[in-house]
Amino acid sequence: MSYFDWFREDRLPTIYCAGCGNGTVINCTLSAIDEVGWKREETVFVSGIGCSSRASGYIAADSLHTTHGRALAFATGVKLANPDLNIVVFTGDGDLAAIGGNHFIHACRRNIDLTVVCMNNQIYGMTGGQGSPTTPRGALSTTTPYGAAEQPFDLAELAIAAGANYVSRWTSYHVKELTKSVRAGLETPGFSMIEVMTQCPTNYGRRNKFKQVADQIEYMKTHAMLRKKYDTLLEKGEPIPEGAIVIGEFARRSRPAMGVRRAA
Amino acid sequence: MTRTEFWQGNIACAEGALAAGCTFFGGYPITPSTEVAEHMAAKLPKRGGTFVQMEDEIGSIAAVIGASWTGARAMTSTSGPGFSLMMENIGFAAMTETPCVIVNIQRGGPSTGQPTMAAAGDMMQCRFGSHGDYSVIALCPASVQEMYELTVKAFNLSERFRVPVFLMADEIVGHMRERIDVPDSVERVDRVPLEKGTLPFSAGKTGVPGFPAFGKGYGVHVTGLTHDERGYPCATSPKLHEELVLRLVRKVEDARHEIADYEIVNPDAEQVFISYGAPARSVGQVLHDLGNENVGHLRLKTVWPFPEGILRKFPDAKEFLVPELNLGQIAREIERYVDQPVKQLPKLGGDLHTPAELKAALGGLK
Amino acid sequence: MKLVIDEKRCKGCNLCTSVCPYRIFKPGKKPNKRGILVPELDRPERCANCRLQKLYGRTLCGMCQLTCPDQAIRWEEERPNERRKVAIEY
Repeated sequence: MSYFDWFREDRLPTIYCAGCGNGTVINCTLSAIDEVGWKREETVFVSGIGCSSRASGYIAADSLHTTHGRALAFATGVKLANPDLNIVVFTGDGDLAAIGGNHFIHACRRNIDLTVVCMNNQIYGMTGGQGSPTTPRGALSTTTPYGAAEQPFDLAELAIAAGANYVSRWTSYHVKELTKSVRAGLETPGFSMIEVMTQCPTNYGRRNKFKQVADQIEYMKTHAMLRKKYDTLLEKGEPIPEGAIVIGEFARRSRPAMGVRRAA
Repeated sequence: MTRTEFWQGNIACAEGALAAGCTFFGGYPITPSTEVAEHMAAKLPKRGGTFVQMEDEIGSIAAVIGASWTGARAMTSTSGPGFSLMMENIGFAAMTETPCVIVNIQRGGPSTGQPTMAAAGDMMQCRFGSHGDYSVIALCPASVQEMYELTVKAFNLSERFRVPVFLMADEIVGHMRERIDVPDSVERVDRVPLEKGTLPFSAGKTGVPGFPAFGKGYGVHVTGLTHDERGYPCATSPKLHEELVLRLVRKVEDARHEIADYEIVNPDAEQVFISYGAPARSVGQVLHDLGNENVGHLRLKTVWPFPEGILRKFPDAKEFLVPELNLGQIAREIERYVDQPVKQLPKLGGDLHTPAELKAALGGLK
Repeated sequence: MKLVIDEKRCKGCNLCTSVCPYRIFKPGKKPNKRGILVPELDRPERCANCRLQKLYGRTLCGMCQLTCPDQAIRWEEERPNERRKVAIEY
């Protein structure tokens, strides 16, 4: 048995563009679930709208593909009505932070026992590359043709501030670490948020000097900086390199949680 | 056996839900529906159910739909502004055929309007509020007793037809206190589980597919996208979309005579009041005062799907009078089906029609 | 075990070529029936997972499989006495 058994084979290949990072993130998530040994009939995948949210449809388990931004609210209902179900929410940066921002902070506040995998590609991919709340300043998109002027959200920090029990950030290059991190999230009671920086070659890379898929992967590889190193630099007052992606485990705590599975 | 109570309409609604086996309530405070949520918050946990106060009405209906997919009988309650917020997910519930009950204690609109005054301005919104074509069921109680009975009925209809069912009450009925006979037990209809080996969205003759609850090993994919019988999205096939939408509409509309619930007084009358909700009480007073058989009354308890067949039960009718707490939303629906003149008696502002106003509307014939 | 690229799923993104520590993937040159340049395998016997996963009873590296966004990489049982190209390195 491998994580490949979790796919709905008849629905593959996915609708994702060539080189899209979402498929990688699904692999890592399913691999973590397979390692933990969750049963298929006890696992529910919930997602909203967007490229990331199509993930739930490729997995051979109960799955709920909902409305834009509302995945966490739907998941809250599923989990509270039946705490014995294990729930994974796939979402994207626009889905989670823009239209679903309110549900996001309140799900963190409730610390409800969900594992959220956020595929942050810094753009609205499915609608053709509009700026999102995580588009970095200066980046080009179809709605920021002169460069994004707004300050982006730091989703991991937001989740920590709002009260989530487990928060981490990795990239779609760091597949092994990501798999471990998702596993830690699955095993942590309470709200777990794993933010994954993913490449969107079609709508982000193409407009922002990443001509090839590999270029963006290379960027994530070279600009990723472990949280520990980042903190040390901050402490010493040394400059943070431009474009650094801070990765690693940001929070692991045991605040009171809601909807935790009842003891067997 | 029954027992007699003196309850507020909103409490009767919550008690009706509990009697109908409601196990999940997701809501958000809003006048004048809050008492429903408050009562559920107090009672549900003691019965092993779940109450959750969500961050807004969008979240409330989302949580209700999510809970319903685990097999729970789930409901929410709200009023005008919250009802508007729920619209997108109501369309989702219709598309995914999720049983759920939405109680709307209507207040004066548009916008924040009159939070503590009655209206029936959401009658069209509950039918057509979400985008695209679909069909729903809406019930209108006119008394505290009916707040109880129709809530039970709403659950049973939503389970049977797998559609969102609306209890379209108003502030008057919701906040009124009345004598109520509470039965010891109520009839309960449960959703039919999906037979193993059947495709999850294959409907068969009834038009209502079996329900594949989460956590039972069905491995069902539920999506708001146009989907085939397997539940897989296929959003670009014109034929598939047409078939799906037609089935969603027909499963309710074809059963409209079965769903129809109404009360008829004086079917041979020449002048007939057609009412639903609180104005029915004023009409009742008018008929009581006049004491003759020349004024009839059709009181609709089911407004959607509109039970147009009942209109033929008044063969001698020369005129229909429709008192409503809006600018004639259902009067226009009646006009579509009858040849006789339909006199609209709209009333805004939150007050009920007085019997004197209704008598005056009858004109010389009274 | 033998590494197989599923031509029906591969979209030719070449991510495998950049993540494999043994560099067994090379960008494809000839488009297949679907017009996709599926990567070619270069001396796959160098891959530790291909050689040793059976012996160890677990996946040893699997970077390419985890990274492949299109679930196109998997390992298959080899048939006995299957012919293969062997390059001898000096």
